[in-house]
Amino acid sequence: MKPMLSTDLNVADTTVEKAKIEVKNLNFYYGQSKALKDINLSLPERSVTAFIGPSGCGKSTLLRVLNRIYELYPKQTAEGQVLLDGKNILDRSQDLNLLRTKIGMVFQKPTPFPMSIYENIAFGVRLYEKISKAEMDSRVESALKRAALWNEVKDKLNASGQSLSGGQQQRLCIARTVAVKPEVILLDEPASALDPLSTAKIEELIDELQADYTIVIVTHNMQQAARVSRQTAFMYLGELVEFDRTEKIFTSPREKRTQDYITGRFG
Amino acid sequence: MSAASEAVTASSMRTREATVRRFALTDTIFRSATRLSAILVLVILGGVAISLFAGSWQALSKFGFSFLTTEAWNPVTENFGALAPIYGTLVTSAIAILIAVPIGIGIAVFLTELCPRPLRRPIGIAVELLAGIPSIIYGIWGLFVFAPFLQTTIQPFIIWVFKGIPGLNSLFAGPPYGIGLLTSSLILAIMVLPFITSITKDVFDTVPAVLKESAYGIGCTTWEVTRRVVIPYTRVGIMGGVMLGLGRALGETMAVTFVIGNAHRISASLFAPGTTISATIANEFTEADGELYTSSLVALGLILFIITFVILAIARYMLLRIDRRAGA
Amino acid sequence: MSTALSLHRSRKRKNGVMMALCVVAAGIGLAWLALILGALIYKGLSGVSLAVFTQMTPPPGDAGGLLNAIYGSIVMTIIGIVVGTPIGVLAGTYMAEYGRFSRLTTIVRFINDILLSAPSIIVGLFVYELLVRPMGHFSAIAGAVALSILVIPVVVRTTEDMLNLVPNALREAGTAIGAPRWVVIRSVAYRAAMSGIVTGILLAIARISGETAPLLFTALNNQFWSSNLNAPMASLPVTIFQFALSPYEEWQQLAWTGALIITLTVLGLSIFARSLTGRREDR
Repeated sequence: MKPMLSTDLNVADTTVEKAKIEVKNLNFYYGQSKALKDINLSLPERSVTAFIGPSGCGKSTLLRVLNRIYELYPKQTAEGQVLLDGKNILDRSQDLNLLRTKIGMVFQKPTPFPMSIYENIAFGVRLYEKISKAEMDSRVESALKRAALWNEVKDKLNASGQSLSGGQQQRLCIARTVAVKPEVILLDEPASALDPLSTAKIEELIDELQADYTIVIVTHNMQQAARVSRQTAFMYLGELVEFDRTEKIFTSPREKRTQDYITGRFG
Repeated sequence: MSAASEAVTASSMRTREATVRRFALTDTIFRSATRLSAILVLVILGGVAISLFAGSWQALSKFGFSFLTTEAWNPVTENFGALAPIYGTLVTSAIAILIAVPIGIGIAVFLTELCPRPLRRPIGIAVELLAGIPSIIYGIWGLFVFAPFLQTTIQPFIIWVFKGIPGLNSLFAGPPYGIGLLTSSLILAIMVLPFITSITKDVFDTVPAVLKESAYGIGCTTWEVTRRVVIPYTRVGIMGGVMLGLGRALGETMAVTFVIGNAHRISASLFAPGTTISATIANEFTEADGELYTSSLVALGLILFIITFVILAIARYMLLRIDRRAGA
Repeated sequence: MSTALSLHRSRKRKNGVMMALCVVAAGIGLAWLALILGALIYKGLSGVSLAVFTQMTPPPGDAGGLLNAIYGSIVMTIIGIVVGTPIGVLAGTYMAEYGRFSRLTTIVRFINDILLSAPSIIVGLFVYELLVRPMGHFSAIAGAVALSILVIPVVVRTTEDMLNLVPNALREAGTAIGAPRWVVIRSVAYRAAMSGIVTGILLAIARISGETAPLLFTALNNQFWSSNLNAPMASLPVTIFQFALSPYEEWQQLAWTGALIITLTVLGLSIFARSLTGRREDR
């Protein structure tokens, strides 16, 4: 369960904690059109932050800036600063592959690679580390245990990753991400394609992972945001409307737009 | 033990940076290799154009524009003109298209509207397999089976029918050789039929179901839906398929070489032997002695290249348009 | 009322006639295939014997086989594929991966589609000017190069199409784990598109194994056994061409048998290639 805090904190208080990622004056463009408008926020280390908002509000776009995955496509540009441990990752000198080993990502639809379960995990590890077969075995095992998948797959590690069920595939993707030892994990609507039972498992997992990782989750499901996150950012039309402790956002938001959204008046 | 405490240490960070540099280098190399290969595709086409032009320079500079308008083809006096092969190429291809288009569209309509579902795929595959049969097979079949059949049955009959009709009697004048322009046209028609059929079928599939359903909804018959909705909607795509088939027919070599008769003259009768550009090259190139003879044959190749390039470019442009609409 | 009824009846009749014509068209299409295959099997099968695969092409009037022609076809096809496939796959990779949004890709796609249906005899002329004339003689190498030029557009097209079918999410996932682009392509995209790319290669083999025109004045022909790549080499299609047009009955029979061998090879390859991707096409 999410650790409960006795005092009601607001934005100022969240920034007092050590910030893992700081976003400063961030603008983002798809070609000419501006998708993110002057975003400023600070994500505290080892806790879960949720981005919510109606579709098209820019929450996924913001997430995709954090590991610069948008660079795969032309005509997408970010300006401003995103500081990871105080270092600007939008800087041209930042090596993208290195950045992504530090900031892992899990996608909306499960994306197992077309290879065995074992290879799905070993693949990423092998890229940057030369380790023995025995070490790799234990890395794979610990990653699968971390993702609460080990018991279900330990007898069929050589089976194709695509043979698993949707929920299992998504946990495999989490295991794969954890295995390369990132510092931050980005989750882009990780449960939206899953059934309620699998969703519950993923949420449980997120809760456990925040002891070691800084986690950012994009979700369109407000209950999910309320369940798993410590702080929540509400976005609307490319703007960050409100960023605060999750309880605060859901019980006494400062902005009318936030209130309208969480009470289901739009979106 | 938590993941953070086993997090990447400073020394492993350094090896990571070395790895990253190696990755960047390999990526640059791989990227360049793919890019060069893509450019090579352009280079090949450019090379074809340049080499044909260079090879035909001697003939073109000697004969000039009259190369296109001269019927003579005389290796002994070294007087060459492309008119007969150009005529043969255009006539055989045009007749082939005239025959293949209605049949191809008919098969496409059959496959999309009439055919029982379980038969659709097998028949569709069978038609596409026809496209894969090497052209030399059509040639040998045309020479040994089809031409004798035409010579003994169909051609005498047609000659007899049109004997008294002015105009048509010279178009179908005997004697029935079996081989000749019409036989080549028929073989070409069979060869391009699968291309036209499969492209027409593909573009028919791009018609939105709602469009057809609403036409059926106001009581149209299958033919009326096809004629008034499907064909107008896919006209550009069908034209693209026809052009593609025409490109094939113009450049087809082996099937025609067997049954055209290889005669460098322009005859009014479709039963008379003739020649096409590709058949002339195939038949004479290795035996051509003398630079001018070879150069004239390459010049024929250049003409064929230009004609097919233009036709295929138009075909691709039309198919591109229908693709875009289907994608939108 | 009665005019409406008669109009309806005439429309129905017209529909019936047109639909019947469509059935006839389909019947004609299938009948051709049956006729050609029937004649091939009938004429070709009677000449099939062990000698066809063990003896050399005979001089006029003698019995013999097609061994040197079959060998030449296999050798040149293999070289053509080995040379053409990597170039085709790499070019297709550029178009679907690195250069997906670039102008170069649009141009290459257009040109490649034209090469795909360009007359193969033109390719023969090109290689003649490129290799045979400078070298001063016909050679198996020239034949193989001509075949590889025919392979490239087929492989480029299928590689690009198949890589485009790989979901972007998979590429993003590979990238998000820190893999550089070439690793994502090699280990994720190629793997996901493997069966489609193999299909393309098989279709390319099917295409070139029956090609005659580009070999006529590159590899030429050879009456005798030759494994010298720098000398003229026999091939099945060119041998068929020469033998079929000859007046000798033994040669004509060998031509039919050779035609049957080629057709069965090509049909077998196409059907096998289709079966690899068949399930995907069904959707």
